[in-house]
Amino acid sequence: MSSASESISQAPSKPLPSENPSLTTEQRRYLESALRVNQAGELAAVLIYGAQTPPIVRAHPHLRPLMKHMYDQEAGHFTKFNELISKHRIRPTAMYPVWTAAATVLGWGTAIMGREAAMACTEAVETEIGTHYNDQVRTLLDWQENLKQNGQSLGPELEELLTDIRRIRDEELEHLDHAVEHDAKEAQPYEVLTNVIRGGCRAAIWVSERV
Amino acid sequence: MFISRSLRAKATQLRSSPLQIRNRRRSYYTVDHPDPTPFSETESAILSSALSRVPTHGFSQKALKLGARDAGYLDVSTNLFPRGTFDLVNYHLVTRRMALKEEVQFPELDTQSGNKLGVGARVRILALARLRANKDIIGKWQDAIAIMAQPSYVSASLSELARLSDEIWYLAGDKAVDASWYTKRATLSAIYSAAELHQTQDQSPNFIETERFLDSRLEDLRKVSSLAGGFGGWVGYTAQSAVNVLRSKGVKI
Repeated sequence: MSSASESISQAPSKPLPSENPSLTTEQRRYLESALRVNQAGELAAVLIYGAQTPPIVRAHPHLRPLMKHMYDQEAGHFTKFNELISKHRIRPTAMYPVWTAAATVLGWGTAIMGREAAMACTEAVETEIGTHYNDQVRTLLDWQENLKQNGQSLGPELEELLTDIRRIRDEELEHLDHAVEHDAKEAQPYEVLTNVIRGGCRAAIWVSERV
Repeated sequence: MFISRSLRAKATQLRSSPLQIRNRRRSYYTVDHPDPTPFSETESAILSSALSRVPTHGFSQKALKLGARDAGYLDVSTNLFPRGTFDLVNYHLVTRRMALKEEVQFPELDTQSGNKLGVGARVRILALARLRANKDIIGKWQDAIAIMAQPSYVSASLSELARLSDEIWYLAGDKAVDASWYTKRATLSAIYSAAELHQTQDQSPNFIETERFLDSRLEDLRKVSSLAGGFGGWVGYTAQSAVNVLRSKGVKI
């Protein structure tokens, strides 16, 4: 079974040697909060599409494949960030139950308001989330640039993260295009709806970065 | 008296040693970019020799001084540790936590049921291994509890307890990253500290009594969480069914 150490005076084990430059505390903090927000965002996305699908598909059966396609992609992103959060031992956001409730209500509420409102919701959310991922890509590219000048690299883990975030960003922006194609701009009242949702997203990102 | 103590606490906070900085919470763990070691070579040398003096001298300034001498340093080098005896307690906590990873090997199958070892069984093995690692100093652990309860050290002690529970869940292979992340860590912290308190009074060979105590607490936890989980599942199921019934009646929701 287990063997507790006999000797009480034992120095802590040394970390594995690594050729990669070590991350600074700020960089670790940044990655921690970025990944926490990403996980929370994808949780919300999965719940929003999940809650929108039944009312939308009932009213507009031809949207079934589109809704399923977007839902499946979001579910894939959510799994990806869950893996990363657990691998890097990052604390998930403490607002988890709150975001769960809020996202479900948002998805269901906009779907009840109709197809255009649901698409406007998608447009608003994906605009914020796309910007957010873009900021992360830019930060990682900055790090890469700085390291390159010293003849170093990000290391395989962060390079993979960069590729993943880029891919996920592109898929989110693709959802944005779908939403606009499906008359998001026709929603009534468009300005109020999208501004409220975008404000809500920014507030949620701000909170999830911290707790 | 009161004033001088609070002033001393302030002064301790102001003189932030490298030890304190490096012991801040870890974020973004990765093998690609390993965490820095929590103690420098000098600190390790002094504190580990001091720890071997604890069974006789307790978690005291005397043990620290003797430890410094044993490691070949002057008495005055205990100034490296502005938090004094708390740094000694902290060294025990941190090194025992970090040792879990190397020292605990899980058996393939559960010894009792013969099934594959679950996360719960691994948590039990890890918690027990951590408790057994108190073997040499358990007689003086009451001192340590008193030191950790001092107002200026409470928060550092609690974060170290949180790191221990996090380590145990991580090593046990728990991958859940939803709201249960918090409840799991909080309950394990509570159970572990209760077991450790129980251990200070335990005279039985190989801490059999503590093992029993730990088992009964973990059993309570299993019962309560399956009840709570069952209730949550029931609420969700009922709500979903209600919505589905309304939808089937043509209500547009």
